[in-house]
Amino acid sequence: MAFNLDALNLRALARGCAVLGTGAGGDPDLGVVMAQHAIAEHGPVAVVDLADLDDHACVMPCGMIGAPTIASERIWSGDEGAVLAGIFAALHGAPVAALMCFQIGGANGLLPVTWAARCGLPLIDADGMGRTFSGLHQQAMHVAGVSASPVALTDGRDNTLVLRATDDVWAARLAGDAAASLGGVCAAALCGMPVVRARDAVVTGTVSLALRLGDALAEGGIGSALAAVEQVLGGELLIEGKIVDLERRGDGDLVEGSATVQGSGAAVGRQLRLELQNEYLLAFEDGEVRAGVPDILCVFATDTGEPMASETLRYGQAVAVVAAPGPAVWRSPRGLETVGPRAFGYDVDYVPRAGAQARA
Amino acid sequence: MPDIRVGVVSGASSTDAVAIDGRHRIVASTTVPAGPDGSGAGIAAAIGALVDDGVDPSRVRWVTLGTGRERRNVVAAHGVRKVAVIRIGAPLTLAVPPLATWPDALRDEVCAGAIVVRGGAEYDGRPVSALDTDAVAAFLGALGGSVDAVAITGVFSPVAPEQEAAAAAVTRRRLGPAVHVSMSHEIGSIGLLERENATVFNAALAGGTARLAALLRAATAEHAIDAELFFTQNDGTLMAVEHALRFPALMIAAGPGMSMRGAAQLSGVGDAVVVDVGGQSTSVGVLVSGVPRERTGSTDIAGVRTSLRLPDARHVPVGVGSVVALDSGEVAIGPASIGFDLAGRALAFGGTLATVADAAVAGGRVALGSHDVQGAARRGLARALKRVDEDLAVAVERATAGRAVTPLVVVGAGHWLVPDELGGASEVIRPPDGALAHAIGAAMALVSGQAERICPRRPDRRRAALEEARAAALARAIDAGADPASVEVSEVEEVPLTHLLRPALRIRVRAVGPPA
Repeated sequence: MAFNLDALNLRALARGCAVLGTGAGGDPDLGVVMAQHAIAEHGPVAVVDLADLDDHACVMPCGMIGAPTIASERIWSGDEGAVLAGIFAALHGAPVAALMCFQIGGANGLLPVTWAARCGLPLIDADGMGRTFSGLHQQAMHVAGVSASPVALTDGRDNTLVLRATDDVWAARLAGDAAASLGGVCAAALCGMPVVRARDAVVTGTVSLALRLGDALAEGGIGSALAAVEQVLGGELLIEGKIVDLERRGDGDLVEGSATVQGSGAAVGRQLRLELQNEYLLAFEDGEVRAGVPDILCVFATDTGEPMASETLRYGQAVAVVAAPGPAVWRSPRGLETVGPRAFGYDVDYVPRAGAQARA
Repeated sequence: MPDIRVGVVSGASSTDAVAIDGRHRIVASTTVPAGPDGSGAGIAAAIGALVDDGVDPSRVRWVTLGTGRERRNVVAAHGVRKVAVIRIGAPLTLAVPPLATWPDALRDEVCAGAIVVRGGAEYDGRPVSALDTDAVAAFLGALGGSVDAVAITGVFSPVAPEQEAAAAAVTRRRLGPAVHVSMSHEIGSIGLLERENATVFNAALAGGTARLAALLRAATAEHAIDAELFFTQNDGTLMAVEHALRFPALMIAAGPGMSMRGAAQLSGVGDAVVVDVGGQSTSVGVLVSGVPRERTGSTDIAGVRTSLRLPDARHVPVGVGSVVALDSGEVAIGPASIGFDLAGRALAFGGTLATVADAAVAGGRVALGSHDVQGAARRGLARALKRVDEDLAVAVERATAGRAVTPLVVVGAGHWLVPDELGGASEVIRPPDGALAHAIGAAMALVSGQAERICPRRPDRRRAALEEARAAALARAIDAGADPASVEVSEVEEVPLTHLLRPALRIRVRAVGPPA
């Protein structure tokens, strides 16, 4: 069902995107400010279903790659979407008919809204992940066999690149290198495809899902956050307690490490260890996997009910850890190969959580 | 040897002052009416009252002025100047023009004009393009004489401040050396919009701070006090008046931090929740090892997100003067408040307004006024008091995340409003002189300075950046008036910047020491 994104519901969208960021993906608030400005100048953004678009219309999945911290400093020019759409039109021989977030979690759930407003194009109610993953190739389109290449990149100041890689993992790697050269962050469009292909290659309904989640979180506070996760995502509380150990490893391009939560209240005597690589990836208790990728893990600050980015975790912080089923596409063999625990270097298998209702 | 510290707190309706000697004893204290807005009459009167009370002016070594704690009144209380806003970074950043997130009325009041010029740096400090100095000069020229202050913010200036300094030089050539120039790399860290907003506030408030400094100098001179003069800082520390003239944004919300410092001083308790009950509102904050805990993330000032660091104080819009509506079925408290102006107006003082103070009187928490609160009013007031207790309990629970069992230190002129048991606190401590906590905090706080550096995450570069940041923080603290002989680094924070192929680290250092 089509609806508009406007000044009234952007905040709710951002709240939902922050939870689906699973600890990473950047602060969506800057995205709200940009989208508000773009919508004030260019009008609201129509959010459409793939069913409402022509079979052969060209879909442009897009967003930013690189460091969110850098994006909060060297703010976008706003024209990146139009630049990428121009490149895509030339590459695919047809004008771009609609934009799609390649990642609904974090800042990338908002950035294409600004671009869509400024291009006067609709945004598709779908994305490529249904959450956040750090790898550009970790897309539902990859599972469906839609090539990431050609990938179009721009830095917002007239430097542009088109990448054609031998496979999607190479595309992600080259795009990451390019982003570093372009100032640590850049705008990207990939997986160009006609609507008829997109219909079975994307995670549908995720813009409206983020919006429903954000509406449910509107009241604020930890109680409302836990209720929202349960009702909208079919998730559950894993533990409430405080962070008693925090380890950050590695000095690559990821914040990698673990956080140990010691239970309090009903959870006294229990300990949960969260493994993180930007995103929260796995939750261990007594050496067993309690929950993990591709399912969604989120950490809320108990005092505010706000979702916490992994880099903001602090020793002693009171938190609630929740888990919710991720999109079904990721539970297929190729899906698990792409984003299961082993894809992140952990020697454990994905365990569907008992009692959790799988989300379509 | 002069040894007396004087703390003066100028609030909306009254001015408090306290004099404390070298052995940390309160030798005099006073509360006087504030006098007409902006006149400084209250400051002079309060200092005069201390002198009348026996404080020897020649023994006064330090005088600190703190301003009220109502954050929403920041702009009204300080007055603003017209600011020319210069951002360096085009074509980047154009998706959000300067001051796009400000409420319209405030933007109209503050902004003389804004421009985004070419320039800016990369995250590792490399320049992206040269600063367009012609555009800066042309912009300032077109604004003519309507500009009192200039705020300059460049992309990645905390890493590479050179272009901001170059734009400041152009500004001084164009507008003369007297114009106030705020450069963002001296104000905040990575996060352009929040830093830019803080920088514009800083420039806008420079005039008000200069006026306040003149009032304080006049008030001390009037009473023959020749002391080092300080203002209170947002983080619960002090800075010398000359330093504050360059960084007025560091003092715009200093109230809660000062009350917390005062509460720590008075109670001797380092880890506690501090509840400061005023006439119009109550603030609830957390002390960790005697230092106000800071809020993480950005801070709202007058509806604008800024990078300013403030104590993590929760504002409860209920004070002892809050008006209680008794006629409705529901209990309604505030937002109207008569502050501490209870005489002849509140029920217990023979007036006709039901207030939270009346609820406290009816509930037996304090004996005030001359009139009994009778009949129907009594039942409504009991319900109101229950609501107040619930609101305060929620704020206390949120402050402690509802977990830790912590003592509660209750201060402020309305301290009697808080019951003996609240929100799971282990005990409620009511230090003597708690009503003066804010002024005592202002008198006793340490002087601080902060510095920040961003560096590649490599051991050698980290060591060098850490050394640089330590030296800069110490220099900043000494410039802010700390005693060079005893200033020391009190806090080092390192945060990795994520998703970089060349990973980076943000290092923030704070140094504190007693006033020189």
